[in-house]
Amino acid sequence: MSDPRYSKLADVFVDYCLDVRPGDLVQVNAPLLAEPLVRDVYRAILKAGGHPFVRASIPGLEEIFLKTAKKHQLAYVNPVTGFAIDTIDKLLNIRAVSNTKALANVDPKSQAATRAAHRDIFARFMERSAVGELAWCGTQFPCNASAQDAEMSLSEYEDFVLRACLVHRKDPIAAWRSVHRKQAKLCRLLNERKKLRIVAEGTDISMSIRGRTWINSDGKKNMPSGEIFTSPIEDSVEGTISFSFPACYSGREAHGVRLTFKKGKVVKASADKGEDFLEAILDTDDGARYVGEMAVGTNYAIKKFTKNTLFDEKIGGTIHMALGAAYPDTGGKNKSSVHWDMVNDMRGGGTIYADGRVIYRDGEFTAK
Amino acid sequence: MNDPRYDRLAKVLVEYSVGVEKGDLVAINTLPVAEPLTLAVYREVLKAGGHPFVRCHFPSLTEVFLKEANKRQLGYINPVSMEELERVDKVISLWADENTKSLSNVDPERQKSRAAATAPLWKRWNEREAAGELKWVGTQFPCNASAQDAEMSLGEYEDFVLRACLVHRKSPIGAWKGVHRKQAKICRRLNEARKIRVVTKGTDLSMAVAGRKWINCDGKANMPDGEIFTGPIEDSVEGTISFSFPAFYYGREAEGVELTFKKGKVTKAKASKGKDFLVAMLDTDDGARRVGEFAIGTNYAIQQFTRNTLFDEKIGGTVHMAVGSSIPESGGVNESGIHWDMVTDMRDGGRIYADGKIVYKDGEFTID
Repeated sequence: MSDPRYSKLADVFVDYCLDVRPGDLVQVNAPLLAEPLVRDVYRAILKAGGHPFVRASIPGLEEIFLKTAKKHQLAYVNPVTGFAIDTIDKLLNIRAVSNTKALANVDPKSQAATRAAHRDIFARFMERSAVGELAWCGTQFPCNASAQDAEMSLSEYEDFVLRACLVHRKDPIAAWRSVHRKQAKLCRLLNERKKLRIVAEGTDISMSIRGRTWINSDGKKNMPSGEIFTSPIEDSVEGTISFSFPACYSGREAHGVRLTFKKGKVVKASADKGEDFLEAILDTDDGARYVGEMAVGTNYAIKKFTKNTLFDEKIGGTIHMALGAAYPDTGGKNKSSVHWDMVNDMRGGGTIYADGRVIYRDGEFTAK
Repeated sequence: MNDPRYDRLAKVLVEYSVGVEKGDLVAINTLPVAEPLTLAVYREVLKAGGHPFVRCHFPSLTEVFLKEANKRQLGYINPVSMEELERVDKVISLWADENTKSLSNVDPERQKSRAAATAPLWKRWNEREAAGELKWVGTQFPCNASAQDAEMSLGEYEDFVLRACLVHRKSPIGAWKGVHRKQAKICRRLNEARKIRVVTKGTDLSMAVAGRKWINCDGKANMPDGEIFTGPIEDSVEGTISFSFPAFYYGREAEGVELTFKKGKVTKAKASKGKDFLVAMLDTDDGARRVGEFAIGTNYAIQQFTRNTLFDEKIGGTVHMAVGSSIPESGGVNESGIHWDMVTDMRDGGRIYADGKIVYKDGEFTID
């Protein structure tokens, strides 16, 4: 039996997130276990007049690749991948794995090598996205591995994911449009500010955001969404930030991450667990030690940390920062093959100052 | 548990069939059920220094597409598929249906228009293959749906498939080299013939093959293999052929097919079952009523009909004929969106004459 909520969610992707038009070439990346959702998405794209094609991933291949590939293979970029990024109109990434720790024991250097090889393609993807030639959206299909990380049953986790996507609402698309309007006001306010300072337990960090654009993440590129973000001036970040939640990346994690910045660059990095992994990722390339994104999570339907960045960075009452690549539409210039989001809870006394004045306290904007 | 026979089969496909070399871009086309062989092939390609990428199809999407796509969508060719076809060096296709009848109720007119739309892809594929730029092998992964069609248990069917692929031999690659040598002699003899006449129950068909080339199918393009074929002169086929086995195409079948040719073209088509489907396919395009291939099956490890063309056309002691596109390396020039192989048993009294002399009798070559 197919769950009717998935066909509702499929309509959100196709009609709201990607806005598929007749003739659009639409790539869907999805693992095999997301088949029920993939079928509904495929059908919705056809209905909208688009040309869908699906790239299914098989669990186990990435591990074989990272453990078996030689240097020249790790550095290889399939020309067809680049061609697709230049050609497609819309892209939907559906994530779901059978084991979120399947890559826990591969050499992080191999991961870094293949990521570095794809840096140009990633940059090209970001460029086309920034100029509006390529619309994309990333989402999570509720599967057991993620439910396990979230410490929930599969059906509890399905409810969690679908509520976070506002699919329980009568008109999910209208609900997302209202998120858009609410956040647009906050973005307008922050676009006029020059300096941000964030203070919380173990954190006192400041940065210039002058001339940068705050982006309204309203469910178009991530589903669920609910965040606003910008890229700070690259060499302006100063101070220390502690991340209260584990930082997960490519199937691995670091706990108790603490970063100290001077002139925008990470000069000290420590972690209670996974410090070697943290160091390896920071050493991927020059840009990996600079901040690509500074953001505030606003989805108050997400309250709980579930070890999945897509949801965790949206938790209403948190901030997050990404090391590595900036999204060009913010005005950010940092380039890197890394983009690692790390999340910090602001609900117990966190404060954000804009040009010296409090705009956010204890997990809520005070400015409206 | 991993069946070590799949590692052996993967080695045959990668080292012998397509001969992956360092730097080759290698597509692995597969289906979810074939996961054990997919992983083994992927690993083997990496070991050979190639760059493997996997195209795994969601089985349910073909049905959704053929039933729900509009006219424009049915006629669309994805430019990414076209680019992939231009770039790829080697292709390994693994077939593994979950249900060999999942397309039984799709409108044949719609299948036909899809086949016509993708004809340019098929043509380009053949060109690159004939020019030696692209090497391809297709194989069947033993799965329950095919075992069911073959009227065997899965375990019995696995043994059948793997024996047909000569994987039980000490050196499967050595065994396939032996097949190559044996068939090369027969091809040399037939390359000198100008006219072929096939006579068996309900069949008396003749065709000109002067100047055309007999191709040695030695496990390079199909696994299992064991056949020799050519493309007859397009307007030379005269007479009637009856196919003793059901004829399958894209999950549908016609039984008791009898085709009568005049000047190379099917002028009368009969079937005891599935006649509408047969006629619809013959009406796909101009080339669909002409012979693209005439062949003799030589794999005597395959004795029984299993309702799967890959095996059935190789049965030692059968001949088969394909209506539709030629394989250019035989010298055939027929173009069509279809290529439909139909098989007839020669083991009980069948004869083949080359320029009036008997060369084959009761399912065996009389020449060496």
